Amino acid sequence: MAQVNNPRPGRDSSGAEPIVKVIDLCKAYGGIRAVDGVSFSIDAGEVFGILGPNGAGKTSTVEILEGMRVPDSGTAWINGIDVEKTPRAVKSMIGIQLQSTTFFDRLSLAEILQVFASIYHRQVDPLELLGQVELQDRAKSVFKDLSGGQKQRFSLATTLVNDPLVLFLDEPTTGLDPQARRHMWELIKAFKGQGKTVLLTTHYMEEAEELCDRVAIMDQGRIVALDSPDALINELLSGGFHKERAEKAANLEDVFLELTGHDLRDA
Amino acid sequence: MKVFLNWRTNTTWVLTVASMKMWYRDGQAIFWTFFLPLVLMVIFGVLNFGDFGRVELGLVDQARTSASRNLISTLEKAEAVALFHQTGTGKAGIGVLASERLALEEGERDLVVVIPPEFGQPGGPVMVEVLFDVSQTREVQIGQTVISQILDEMTFALTDVPFRFGITTRPIYNRDLRFIDFLMPGLIAMSIMQMGLFSVAFTFVQLKNRGILRRLLATPVHPVSFLFGQVATRLSVSILQTLVLIAIGVFVFDVKILGNMASILFLALLGGGVFVSLGFAVSGWAKNEEVAAPIANIIALPMMFLSGVFFPRDAMPEVLVKITDFLPLTYLIDALRNVAIDGEALWSQGWSLLGLAVWLIITFLVAVKLFKWE
Repeated sequence: MAQVNNPRPGRDSSGAEPIVKVIDLCKAYGGIRAVDGVSFSIDAGEVFGILGPNGAGKTSTVEILEGMRVPDSGTAWINGIDVEKTPRAVKSMIGIQLQSTTFFDRLSLAEILQVFASIYHRQVDPLELLGQVELQDRAKSVFKDLSGGQKQRFSLATTLVNDPLVLFLDEPTTGLDPQARRHMWELIKAFKGQGKTVLLTTHYMEEAEELCDRVAIMDQGRIVALDSPDALINELLSGGFHKERAEKAANLEDVFLELTGHDLRDA
Repeated sequence: MKVFLNWRTNTTWVLTVASMKMWYRDGQAIFWTFFLPLVLMVIFGVLNFGDFGRVELGLVDQARTSASRNLISTLEKAEAVALFHQTGTGKAGIGVLASERLALEEGERDLVVVIPPEFGQPGGPVMVEVLFDVSQTREVQIGQTVISQILDEMTFALTDVPFRFGITTRPIYNRDLRFIDFLMPGLIAMSIMQMGLFSVAFTFVQLKNRGILRRLLATPVHPVSFLFGQVATRLSVSILQTLVLIAIGVFVFDVKILGNMASILFLALLGGGVFVSLGFAVSGWAKNEEVAAPIANIIALPMMFLSGVFFPRDAMPEVLVKITDFLPLTYLIDALRNVAIDGEALWSQGWSLLGLAVWLIITFLVAVKLFKWE
């Protein structure tokens, strides 16, 4: 296998193969190079974030990794399997939460989970899965009756039916209120606690700082920085960066959460 | 191997069951698929609306002879004829004729027979005049046949020559076809078309637009497994539609099904296949429901009226008959009618079967070409 270009400072070299490995991916739409020579790798058990403004190429990159799009050039492996060559084999090992998605009408949440499980030739206990995302009391509901946060959590549950090696979460908290977002963070931290590998995209820096072991910052189809959040901040500071206004010990979101409580409002 | 034997984890099976649940839980779909054709059938059946009925024959007797009375009494006995007769000689005869003529013009008569004053008197041939409504082709034909038959018999009776030839008629099924017998196969075919076309087109445009197909694409599901379930659901519905409409026809309206039930259901499946593929083609082409609805209607509506659901196609101009011969709904209706009502064998419907098979191939190829997952 080819060498991974990106240095990974501050990491121990255990010698284990990375679970996700990407080399020099390129993808253009029309004349626009949405993904322009992206390389990185993710170790098992890591929470890896891809950050960037809208249109930076985050989603395109992730979709190539998920086997949903074919790259113009470059290669991606998941657990040593070439995604482009055997997308179905890769899809059966991973869980994918799409940016915005809906599910079948007229099937209960429990029924939808059974449908998804059957795709992986598995039998699941829908209540146990719904319990993992704290929706156990909505087993008989239909998707469209859920609140925004519940929808996102259910979508997460559908990605768990095959006990995936890697979870792909595309902007999992976009559009959620602070309580629901924090709840989602707790769930993702719990997956990390279970040793799952997570790749998430976000444009919330706070989210990346809270959850990610390492982040890749993308802009115009390229990775412009890749390191742990701490290391990136330290690097910036060591370059002589000063905030114009000193950071207070709390921000408006803390005020909001203090006033409205940390409890979820959706259930 | 164990994996494939366990029905709970068999993808195709679970997806098919899920697809059935989704379909049969959809009240709106149930309404359009079952309730509407039933309502149509009950309305047409109970009101006997559109019945070919009896020939409404007006008769003006200007002769008042024993021969003319003989003709009238024979006509009164003819089952196919509803007779309205008026008598009037001389001036009165002209007035009576005018009133019958008016009735004809207003559509209250299909034809009016005028018996001239010299009818029944010795001498040369007497011309019986028949006025008819040109728009009532079928009734006029029957009426004319009845009259000329009676006149022929009377002519023979007047001459001394004994009968040398005669016709005995022997109805094969000993029943007359009513409108409901004609309508039922048409309604079955029409409901299969509506269900296949609209149910697939709308469902898949929705699945596509709301990203559900995309979510499935993010799993290792084989598209065939998913599509199989969806198609199997629709075909099961087309079987059920056929059975329900036939049951109502038989038990409520006393329709006699002479055909083999397996052949009828085979036709329902074949027709279902054609219209389901057509639905897939529409859903692939249409970007949203606002586009899918008019497209599906543009396909379905003309066929509803041109393929002979409600009236026989031979009432249309010949050119239109020739063109509509090739419509998929025409093939389905013709075959269903011939098999179910006329009791013909499935294999004798080769032309319709070939037509449906060709349409199935065409629509399938177009659907494959146009279908998109996102």
